Amino acid sequence: MSVRHAILGLLAQKPRHGYELRAAFEAVVGGEEAWEVKPAQIYTTLERLEEAGLVTCVSDLGEGAEPARRIYALAEPGRQALSEWLAEGVTPTHQRDEFFVKLIVALASGESDPAHLIQTQRGRLYQELHDLTTRREACNPQTEMAQILLLDKAIMHLEADLRWLDIAEQRLEEVRRQPLPEPELRRRGRPPKGDKGSTYPPPVPVNS
Amino acid sequence: MSLIQTENLTKIYGAGEAAVTALDHVNIAVNEGEFVAVMGPSGCGKSTLLHLIGGLDRPNEGNVRIEGVALAEMDDDALTKLRRQKIGFVFQFFNLIPVLTAVENAALPVTLDGVKPSEAKKRAAEWLTRFGLGDRLAARPDQLSGGQQQRVAVARALVSEPALILADEPTGNLDTRSGDEIASLLRDVTKKYGRTVVMVTHDPRIAAYADRIIFLKDGKVVDETNLERKGAADQIASKMKEIGD
Ligand SMILES: Nc1ncnc2c1ncn2[C@@H]1O[C@H](COP(=O)(O)OP(=O)(O)OP(=O)(O)O)[C@@H](O)[C@H]1O
Ligand SMILES: [Mg+2]
Repeated sequence: MSVRHAILGLLAQKPRHGYELRAAFEAVVGGEEAWEVKPAQIYTTLERLEEAGLVTCVSDLGEGAEPARRIYALAEPGRQALSEWLAEGVTPTHQRDEFFVKLIVALASGESDPAHLIQTQRGRLYQELHDLTTRREACNPQTEMAQILLLDKAIMHLEADLRWLDIAEQRLEEVRRQPLPEPELRRRGRPPKGDKGSTYPPPVPVNS
Repeated sequence: MSLIQTENLTKIYGAGEAAVTALDHVNIAVNEGEFVAVMGPSGCGKSTLLHLIGGLDRPNEGNVRIEGVALAEMDDDALTKLRRQKIGFVFQFFNLIPVLTAVENAALPVTLDGVKPSEAKKRAAEWLTRFGLGDRLAARPDQLSGGQQQRVAVARALVSEPALILADEPTGNLDTRSGDEIASLLRDVTKKYGRTVVMVTHDPRIAAYADRIIFLKDGKVVDETNLERKGAADQIASKMKEIGD
C-alpha cells in the first residue's frame, strides 16, 4: 500500500488542506507510532499527484503557497486510480523479524542462551499485549469501533507471535542439532557463460 | 505486607515409584489489589498451586501465608472459616444450580453460612447489578449466556466480601468475546473494588489483562513478568531509538 492511495481515499471523502490530510492519515492508521509519515512526505506526494492530474488545488492560494495551507480535491483520474486500487486484493507483507535473527545469532555464536532469549522475548510480547489490551479497553464500542478493530488485529498478531515462541522453545533442541543456514559460497567474479550460480567447491562430477 | 506468600511450597501426589511432584519449592508473593495470572503447560501445577493457596488441600512441605497467617498452623475448622471469609473461588465450569435464579445462586454460599436469606439476596443483587445483570436477577442459568453465567459465578464468589478471588481457567469455557468480558471484569474486581485476584489461564489474550504473570513449568516458577512497563531498560531502549539504529 502507499500513502498515495490513502491520500486519494481521504480526498474522495471531501477536499482537505495538506496539514489536515496528514492528521487524517494518522487517525486512520492508528497513530504516529503505528505508521509514521513525515509532513514532507505528504506534501511531496501531493505535489506529484497534482502534477499527474490526480488531484487539483482548489484554494485561492496560488502556486507559491505551502502545500500545508493549500486545499486539494480529488480529480476524475484520481477517482479512477482509487477505484482500481480498491478493487485489488492485498498481498500480505512479511516483515523482517529481528527476534528471529537474534535467535539464530545466539544459536550460531553461543554468545547467549537461546532459551533465555525466548523467555525475555515472551515477557516483552506480554507487556506489549497488556498495553494494547488496556488501550482497547479504553475505547468506546459505540463510537470507536474502527480503533477497536485495528487494536484487535495487533492483539491477534501478538497472540500468534506468542504461540510461535512456544513452538520455537519446544523445537530448540532440534534446531540446535541441525546445521544452521549458511550461504552457498560462490566463486569470485562473474560466473563463466552458461554456468549459472555454480557452488564452491564445485560439485564432484558423478559420471566421470 | 503481601496478601499471599508461599514458602517452599511443595506438593507430591502419590508415593514411591508413582509419586508426582506437582509443586516443587514454589516461592511467590502477591500484593493486595494485585491481578496476577498463572501460566504454564498442562500439568505444570497451576491448579495445585491455587488449591494450596485457597486451603483446599495441604502441602507436603512449605507453607502458605494469607495476611501473614500460616495455613499450616490452622486446624481444619479454622481453615474452613478462613476460606469462607477471605477467599472466593471461580472455576471453568460455572457450577450454578439449575433450579435457582441468578440472585439465589449468587446468594447461596452466604445463605448456607447463616446470613439471613433476605440480606444475602440483597448483597447478591448488588454484585450482580455492578456486573451488568441488574435486569436478569430472576433468570435461571439456562436462560443466561455462558458469559453471563460466569458473571453470576464471580458475583457468588464476592458476596461474602472476600479479600481474595482465586480463578481457575475462568474463561476456558467461553468464546473470545465473553472471555474478554470476564477478564475485564476480574480486572475491575481488583482495580475498582480493591480485591486481589489470582487467575490461572493458558490463554495469552486473557493473561494480558493482569498486572503480572507467573510462569510455572514442572512445578517450579521459571519466570515472572510485570506487564506494566515503566522500567529503566525501556527508557534506555527508547533513547537508542531516538539516536537511530
Ligand atoms: N489428585 C491428584 N492425584 C494424583 N496426581 C495429581 C492429582 N492432581 C494433580 N495431579 C498431578 O499433578 C500435576 C499437576 O497437576 P495440576 O492439575 O496442578 O496441573 P495444571 O497445571 O492445573 O494442568 P492443566 O493445565 O491441565 O489444568 C499433574 O502431573 C497431575 O497429573
Ligand atoms: Mg488445571
